[in-house]
Order: sequence, then structure tokens, then C-alpha cells
Amino acid sequence: MARIGTILGEPGERLLLMGNEAIARGVLEADAAVASTYPGTPSSEILMVLSEVAPKVGLYAEYSTNEKVAFEVALAASWNGLRSVVTMKHVGLNVAADSFMSAAYQGTKGGMVVVTADDPSMWSSQNEQDNRMYAMFANVPVLDPMDPQEALEMTKYAFQLSEEVGSLVMLRPTTRVSHTRADVKIGDLPENKKNAVRLWGHFEKNPEKYVVLPSRARRMHPEVLERIEKAREILENAPFNWEEGSGEIGIIVSGISYVYLKEALHKLGIEDKVSILKIGTPFPLPLKKVESFLRKFEGGKVLVIEELEPIVENQIKVLVYDKGINVEIHGKDYIPRIYEMTTRRIIEALEKYLGMKHDVDFAAIDEHFKKVSEKLPPRPPTLCPACPHRNTFYAIKRNAKGKGIYTGDIGCYSLGALKPLETMDTIVSMGASIGLGTGMAHAQKDKRVYAIIGDSTFFHTGLSALANAVYNKAPMTVVVLDNRITAMTGHQPDPSTGLTATMEPTKFIDIAEIAKAMGADYVAVVDSYDIPELLKVLEEADKHQVAVVVSRQPCSLLRTRIQRKKGESWPLYQVDPDKCTGCKVCINAHGCPAISFDKEKNVAVIDEVMCWGCSGCAQVCPFDAIYEKLPDGGRKYDVLDEENKRRWQQWNSML
Amino acid sequence: MEFNVVISGVGGQGILTAEHLLAQTALRKGYKVRAGEIHGLAQRFGSVVAFVRFGETVYGGSVPDGMGDLILGFEPVETMRYINFVKDGGVAIVNTKKIPPVQVSMGLYEYPSWDEIKFWLSERNIKLIGIPAEDLALKAGSALAVNTVMVGAAIKLGLLPFEPEDIKDTIKEIFPAKLHDLNFKAFDLGYEAEPEIA
Ligand SMILES: Cc1ncc(C[n+]2csc(CCOP(=O)(O)OP(=O)(O)O)c2C)c(N)n1
Repeated sequence: MARIGTILGEPGERLLLMGNEAIARGVLEADAAVASTYPGTPSSEILMVLSEVAPKVGLYAEYSTNEKVAFEVALAASWNGLRSVVTMKHVGLNVAADSFMSAAYQGTKGGMVVVTADDPSMWSSQNEQDNRMYAMFANVPVLDPMDPQEALEMTKYAFQLSEEVGSLVMLRPTTRVSHTRADVKIGDLPENKKNAVRLWGHFEKNPEKYVVLPSRARRMHPEVLERIEKAREILENAPFNWEEGSGEIGIIVSGISYVYLKEALHKLGIEDKVSILKIGTPFPLPLKKVESFLRKFEGGKVLVIEELEPIVENQIKVLVYDKGINVEIHGKDYIPRIYEMTTRRIIEALEKYLGMKHDVDFAAIDEHFKKVSEKLPPRPPTLCPACPHRNTFYAIKRNAKGKGIYTGDIGCYSLGALKPLETMDTIVSMGASIGLGTGMAHAQKDKRVYAIIGDSTFFHTGLSALANAVYNKAPMTVVVLDNRITAMTGHQPDPSTGLTATMEPTKFIDIAEIAKAMGADYVAVVDSYDIPELLKVLEEADKHQVAVVVSRQPCSLLRTRIQRKKGESWPLYQVDPDKCTGCKVCINAHGCPAISFDKEKNVAVIDEVMCWGCSGCAQVCPFDAIYEKLPDGGRKYDVLDEENKRRWQQWNSML
Repeated sequence: MEFNVVISGVGGQGILTAEHLLAQTALRKGYKVRAGEIHGLAQRFGSVVAFVRFGETVYGGSVPDGMGDLILGFEPVETMRYINFVKDGGVAIVNTKKIPPVQVSMGLYEYPSWDEIKFWLSERNIKLIGIPAEDLALKAGSALAVNTVMVGAAIKLGLLPFEPEDIKDTIKEIFPAKLHDLNFKAFDLGYEAEPEIA
């Protein structure tokens, strides 16, 4: 029996796999040669798993600097005749869209699958765009898996379809498919993968296809439409679209909603009263299948159930009109258009649609829950203990003395927008901190602008924005929170790490050197654990036009993980209750989760297990009441001594 | 027959491992399984909820409102935050160790009292079993074993179709060898635990 998290099981074996792991397994079973990504929840695990096994199966896996680059890497592999996959979160496709839309015209050679994972309910995202729309927009087929098993099957099928049609194919899992673990029966691995054979392609020059000049694009557009009709024919027989049941209630359901529908029908006890058309290919829709289903309900009505946008529903409404089918189509008039689908939502919709009642009293549960929730203290995620970002935010805010505009960005450090740090006035999309900062600097002049961006985000879309800021002379301080890793999405390496996806050493690209080369007026690198130094550098930066401050210290979660493995320890800080005045500066201005407040004794308390040894709280304490507890039981109050600085330097070079 | 378990707590408490223990056991016993966790943004130190569902047939990865047989609450407030998933007359096994959120330290919120929590649960006829899981985990050898203690207490309840040996087999399967004894001990301590608050 295989261990959890392993995708290299034996054929036919049932493994407990997350949807994303099942997709990764599908990529290997399809003998893909290249996999690229820019990470993003809920898609990240696909490449995390693939990069881990890559050397064992001869796969080339890469963390690209953004989704557009990742897409292009995979596209080139396809044009070399290899099978390739690129994965990203839904909004990643916005970044890759420019190439995606053109490549939809140009087509593929080796099968190429674009996995974009949607995030209904926005568990970890800035919007809940439905990327099936992108598939329609680009005229690219899209497969919509209902569970991890189907995700595996669809992944393999998508490569085949891509090759049969010569088009990109999109696979669009949602958070609940990507992140649900299920018993998945796996198939066989191709010989190449079993023997770790690295596949190499061959680029046959073909400017008519690969050089998309306007005249050629005009010729290609009709081909795009032909491809989608060819795909539609093939998908009429795809194993992901089927009819079941023979009851008089007609329901068409797409993707994961099928699973919830089945549960709802079971709970309502009406499984035998319905006929279902299950759709796994929302675009292009298998119109013949749909029509023959609809014909059975002529004179009556059919309900279309899908998460988010009415993609399937609207295509069906067009079909009904075009073919003159006499059936009423319902959908978003009963099924919510926003947030994640649930069994409950379908139960409630069916109760209304069919005029019946379920035996769980949801209203009573809601009422009780509302009353209880109002009394519960919230627990939003916080920056980790010893997170280097915390010190940088503290210093930025302190230095600006209420006279700063903080344009923010996306990463763990987005939490700097919340209490108690509250040092982020805007978040829009990745890399937007510098662009918005430039705009702010040219739109108002009463406040200094601080653009706050992480290292991975800087390489993603900050580079060109920084060039723009220097070029257009925007007075601002760009603060790069360089924790040398893409922390938020699970610690993927980036150009500031010095390691590739498969953990091979590579060049460490120094963001400070980039800023210098771009002509920034002031550039400094500072250790995030040294608050006085941060304050000094930020004050100096204010005197310059475009200043770039790189605040560097590895992610504390990663650092402590590595240290634990090596059997190393870190210093422990404790509060001296005789010196603590209960002023709460450590909690209200800094806010490490390892510190809580003892109301009875009126002192701050540091949890020994949670203190990860940064000394930030000791540095911000106005009464020097926090000390390092030495192994011999002694107390060290001078936390900024040479020994500590040396230790931080050592941590800095640990990656 | 289907079994619906809700697991909740604070990010970093090992919710995922408890989920794995139950899900992998169910898989080996031949059930169909769905499991998964829900959390927003960086899950670190925020509120987390996970589900394990198994049976002859299973559906989606999330337990619908009011249909959970039992909740393993790794922290009192985090138990109440997901009580909507538990059915009337269900069971709440709660680690009695309170972890006050920063908002409480800042003085913005009060941490609810045990009397309040007991009252809320009684309103929906949910049985409370409060055990000192963290103390027991420390007794077993590591605070990180809270999850195995909680699973031990859940098996003792007899609501899930597993014997202690089933879970121990899974421990052997998914933990590195050096952690086996610690987790066996944590499991036993959870299994034998007397409720401290009920
Ligand atoms: C277009 C896009 N791609 C990916 C993501 C997912 N994502 C959010 S933050 C982030 C990277 C954060 O890394 P970094 O800037 O280094 O900050 P850290 O989390 O390490 O503090 C990623 C990949 C996203 N939100 N948008």
C-alpha cells in the first residue's frame, strides 16, 4: 500500500489522492514531457507533486516567473511535438491571456493541456471568474471534472483531444475538486516514465503557423472555428457526458454540481423521479446529446445546474431557440450565480423548483449559528511567528509617521493589510503595487508612496513596473519583502531562492542589483530582523526619487522547518513580568501570534512553543522587558548584539 | 450507511493529519472516501475546518449543514465556529485547551466561557466531550500529537466503524517509523481519556 501523497503507485491500485495529485498522475500516464507553472491556489499541488517525482520519471518540470512565461514554455514543447501541461490558478490565465488567445489561433502539435483551477467562493483569490468563459472566448475546448477520479481520466483524455483536433485543451477543476482527497484508481505508466526517459522533441520550422502575422491570423480564424466543431463531434461520445435515469423531472448538470445533485436527490428521496444529463464538457457542448435529452421534455421544463456563470444554460437556451424545441429552460432563476455550489444549495433550489420539503431544518440551524457566531472572536490568518514581513511593516509604518500611502501586493504579506499592522492601502492584482504606486506619485503630492511587494511577485510582474517607475520619475520607495521564496502558495522556489523546481542549484538573482541596473536613485539591502537598521534605511530612502529597499530574511516557517530537520534550535524570547508594564505595544503595533496577554497579571506572555526566535518583540518593547532566555537559564537583554546579527546572516544564507 | 466527520481547529494544529488518519483507514477498510479541508488565504494560525466522509456511496467533499455525525474540535472556539455542520443530537469532542485569537489579546473580543459553550451545544442537543488533548499529547511525548489523541477519543465513542487496531495500522502506514510509538501512546491516551468537561 502506498503512502499518502505518493502518485507513483501500481496500476489498478486505489490511492487516496487529492484532485490535484490525480491530475499530476494523469499527466504522467499521458506521457507528457514538460510541465510548467506559476503557482497559485488551488492549482499549486499539481506541480509540487510533479516536480518532486520529475527526476524519477524523466519529466522536465519548471517554476516559471509568471503564468505567461509558463504558458509559452509549455507551448514551445507542444510545437516541438511533445506533450506538455501548464497549470495555474484561474486569474493566472489573465496574465497568460495574451499568448493564450493567439495560440488558440495557431494551434498545437504535441498535445497541450492548460489547467486553470477556478476558486468559487474565493477561498484564496481576489475574484471568482469562471474560466469556462475564457475557453469560449478563445474557442478552446474545456473539460470540467466532477471529482478526482474524473480529473485523472479527463487529463489523459485532454491530451488525446488536443492532438486529434490540433488545439489547446483547457482542464478546469474548481477548488473542491482540486483539494478533495478521494479514493482514486490509477492506471498504468508508460514505459518512458517507468524508465525515467527524458523525451526530446524536434522543432520543424513552419512560419505559416508559428509566425502569427495579421495576414496569417486572418487565414487561421476560420480554422479555429472548424477545430471547435470537430471537437464538438468528438465530445458527443466523450465518456464524461451521459444520461441516466428515466424519471419525469429533467435536469442537466455540469461538473462538480453533479456530485452535489446526486446527494441532494438522495436526501430528498427522489432519485428515481429524475432524468439527468451529466455534462463534463461545457464547451463545446455536445449539442446532439443535449437536443435528444431536451426532446423528451417537450411541453415541460428542464433545470440546468452549474456553479458560477450560466455557461451551459445559455448555450442550451440558444439551442432551444434555434431548433424550436418546446421546453422551458430554468437555471440561474433557481441556482445561485455566485459562490461555491453545495448540496444544501441544490436541496433548497429543488425544494423551490419542485415544491417539496427536506427534513433537516436549515433555518433553525442558521438561526442558532448566527447567534453563536456573533459571540465568537474571529481568527483570521496571521503572519507566522518570526515572519520577517512583520518587522518590515512595523518599520514602514513607523517611519512614515502617518504620512504614507501604501500600495500593496499579493502574497503572505497581504496580511499586513489587517490589524494590527494595517499598512496596505491598495491590493489589486499581482505586481500592481509598483504600477499603482507610480500612479499615486503622479496623482497626489501630500504623501510619500511606499510600494510593498514580495520577491516572487517582483519577478512575476514587478520588473517591468519598476522600469516604468524609474523611467517616469515617480517619487516613491519600493520595499521588496524578500523572504527568498514563494511562501503563500507553499514555498515554491523563485529566482531569489537559488534553486530550481527540482531543487537543483541555479543562479540567485539579486533584486537589489536589478534595481541598481535599472537606475533607481537609492538602493539598499537590509536584514528584516534588524528594526533600527530598517528604520535608518527607510528614512534615507525618503530623500530620493525612486528608492528600492530590499528587506531580506528567509521565510521563518521554512527556516524553522529546515532547522528542525537538522536538529538545530533557535533562541527563545520571554517577557520579564517585573519590567512589563502591560502597555501592549508588542501586541498592538507588532502582533506576533506567539504573544498573548494575561489580563489578571497585566503582562504580555510569550508561548514557548510558538516563539521562533526573531527578537522583533524585544526590539519594539519600549521598556526592554523582553529578553533572550539563554540555554543556561541566563537572560540576555541586548538583542541587537553582534552574535544575533551574525546568526541572522547565517539564516539568510541557509537556502 | 455513510459517516460524516467534521474536524476543526487552528492552522498548524495537525488537522490535516487527523483527516489523513481517518480517511486512509476508511480507504483500507474498503469504503469510498472523500476528505478535504477548507481554509482561506494563508492557513497559518487562522481557522481551519476539514471533512472526512466515507461509506458505501459518498458524494461531495464537504459535509452539508446539519449532517455531520461528530465534530473533532481541536480548540473550543473553533468547534463552535463550525457547529452548523453537526446534526442535532450529534457529538462534539473538544480539546479543552483554549488558544485565544490575537483579537482577544488586543481586548477587542471576549473569549466565550465554558458555560456559554455548554449552553449553545445543549440548545441543539449536541453532546459535549471535553478532553485535555494537549496535556495528553505532551504526556505521550509531543504537543504535535494532539491529532492522534483526538482520533483516539473519537474511536472510543464507537460511532465510527473502526477498531483501535485499524487506526494503529494506519499510523504505521503513514508516519515515519520513529513516530510510531509516540502516536500509539497518544492514541491510547485519547482512547482512555475521561471527559474533563461534559
Ligand atoms: C496572477 C496570479 N498568480 C498567482 C497568484 C497566487 N499567488 C498569490 S501570492 C503569490 C506569491 C507570493 O510570493 P511572494 O511575492 O514571494 O510573497 P510571500 O508569500 O513569499 O510573502 C502567488 C503565487 C495570484 N494571486 N495571482
